[in-house]
Amino acid sequence: MTIRRNIVVAASAAAALALALTGCSSGGGGAASADGDTGSVEGKEICYITAANSHPYVTPANEGAQAAADAAGVKLTIVSEEFSPQTGAEQLDSCVARGVDGILLWPLDDNSYLPGLLKAEQEGIPVVAIDTTTGEDSMALIESFVGADKYDQGKISAQQLEKALGGEGGVVIIAGQAGNGTEIARTGGFMDELEASGSKLEVLATVNADFDQQKALVASRDLLTKFGDQIKGVYAEDDTMAKGFQQALAESGLGITPFIIGINGEKGAFESIKAGTQYSTIIQPPFRNGELAIETLIAVMQGETVDEMVPLENTVVDASNVDENEPAM
Amino acid sequence: MRQLDLRTAGRAAVRYRLLVLLVLVAIFGSITIGDFFSVDTLQSVLNRATVVGFLALGLTPVLIAGQIDLSIGSILSMAGITTIALQPVIGNIPAALAGLGVGVLIGAINAAIVVIFKISSLVATLATLLIFASLALLLTDSQPVSSPDPIFGIPLTGDLLAVFTPRSAMFVAAAILMFIWLRFTPSGRNLYAVGSNAAAAKSAGIRSNAYIVTTFLISGLFAGAAGVLQSLSTATGSPVAGAVMLIPAITAVVIGGTRLEGGRGSSLATLGGVVALGALTMMFEFNGVPAYTQAIYTGVLLIVLITLDRLVSDDGRPTSRTLRRARVEPPTPRGIQEEA
Repeated sequence: MTIRRNIVVAASAAAALALALTGCSSGGGGAASADGDTGSVEGKEICYITAANSHPYVTPANEGAQAAADAAGVKLTIVSEEFSPQTGAEQLDSCVARGVDGILLWPLDDNSYLPGLLKAEQEGIPVVAIDTTTGEDSMALIESFVGADKYDQGKISAQQLEKALGGEGGVVIIAGQAGNGTEIARTGGFMDELEASGSKLEVLATVNADFDQQKALVASRDLLTKFGDQIKGVYAEDDTMAKGFQQALAESGLGITPFIIGINGEKGAFESIKAGTQYSTIIQPPFRNGELAIETLIAVMQGETVDEMVPLENTVVDASNVDENEPAM
Repeated sequence: MRQLDLRTAGRAAVRYRLLVLLVLVAIFGSITIGDFFSVDTLQSVLNRATVVGFLALGLTPVLIAGQIDLSIGSILSMAGITTIALQPVIGNIPAALAGLGVGVLIGAINAAIVVIFKISSLVATLATLLIFASLALLLTDSQPVSSPDPIFGIPLTGDLLAVFTPRSAMFVAAAILMFIWLRFTPSGRNLYAVGSNAAAAKSAGIRSNAYIVTTFLISGLFAGAAGVLQSLSTATGSPVAGAVMLIPAITAVVIGGTRLEGGRGSSLATLGGVVALGALTMMFEFNGVPAYTQAIYTGVLLIVLITLDRLVSDDGRPTSRTLRRARVEPPTPRGIQEEA
């Protein structure tokens, strides 16, 4: 194992040298010599397996990760799962095979990454999870999780709907991708809170719209046709899907005004809250999420001990404070 | 004699273009990515190519026979969830066999629709694609099924003889076996005749329908194998795993030079296509090329390679189309309708 590590170290040193020779190191000019202080990670390589290249939340998180990597002089390779955990599992394998120094993983389901995580452990490559948690066995192999407490967001959303509806009425849940950690946490937190508080809100239906506005639009048309004015509240597990429901509502011509709750703090949601078509959202800053994740991973690579969970703050935004806050994306 | 030389040169060039591509990827990868050209990378490329590879291999005889199987992605999903769901009930190995069985069963359904009801394979397998994609979601309530024994499948992606993993070795072995069948056995060669002109093949005493049924069974079995391997090595049976797999599989087969019109193709060429595409993808990834941009390059590459294929092969050896043109036969596009 040690021999193997040495090869990896030698290889990455060679890679760093090659980079330095070709002059494409992104480390910046200063380069306070790496030899002296033991903790320097300059020239090391991190593999970031992200959920997607192009997505309202994921893209700024990727930018944050890149910014933090640039600041630390670390080479960051971003590969995209395109929301397929099977692809991600294979990419994790490739990253381990390449012998990088650290891996930042955006998990999309509970089990798929387990073999890759075991290999990473064998090779001594630290892994940090960003945004979404994964299964228990897998989390045991992950150094730290950096992201918002999604379960808490679900609970907060339930409380918001309680408040808005005055404690009774039919609600529909427009959930994310089935089986996705975020979806499980946001639905779970919501349902648990309703139960724990003995709420009289009645969940009419739960549909999966995969965090996609178009899918939410289609699903919402069906919901509006089926339940019509029974819908007093809408819990959309992100703002893009809340937008989809609003579109469907507008084109339905039903003339009802259910309270719509979203999550993520998108710009569009802020506008909707100002216009009165959305009740609230929860800010979860993606750029900061990416930044914090890389900073945490670098701390691990430097041999520091980090917390199992590094949370992002959840801020509720509604009509009362929408002017004081900036959209997260 | 000169004709023969041209033909050999032509064939060599057709095979060469995939190697050229691989060499280009290796060179460009080594320049742009430190430590790219290594045994580890090769192992990783082969390992990642396995799942698409099994789909593509299974598709190859179907295309040679002039048919198509669009349902392979759905078969993959069904086989995957079957394997994982049955693991706690009947044990790991029987569950894997059950996964393969589901693949063969769906292949048999495809074959029955095409041969008995005489529905074009494009339509028949489009229907089964839709049916089994939905069934997979229904059976699992849209949730991925987690394996109770996640450790069992891990050795599948472990080290084997430096460049292989156990599952990629299975893939390469399957490609070689299929090559031997297609190239060196009478039944393999007859398949090309069926794909070139089913009616003519029939009048030459070849039972076209039996061959077409066989290809769908093979395709089902291989897609089943892809599903079993993928689900075991990720310890998850995902109902949507196959939804994104059809296009890469078809791309790999076609890049390999197998023709959608039937009558031409080779499993080794498919192997080459899969590996070339896999190496290209990995090089793109580690150069930070976004996934949506990669698809543009792949599309362009597809056109370039197929054009090269036409240029090289059309003046050399007769293709199915020139063969068909040469015969004085009433034009029967697929020939299957001719079967009584």
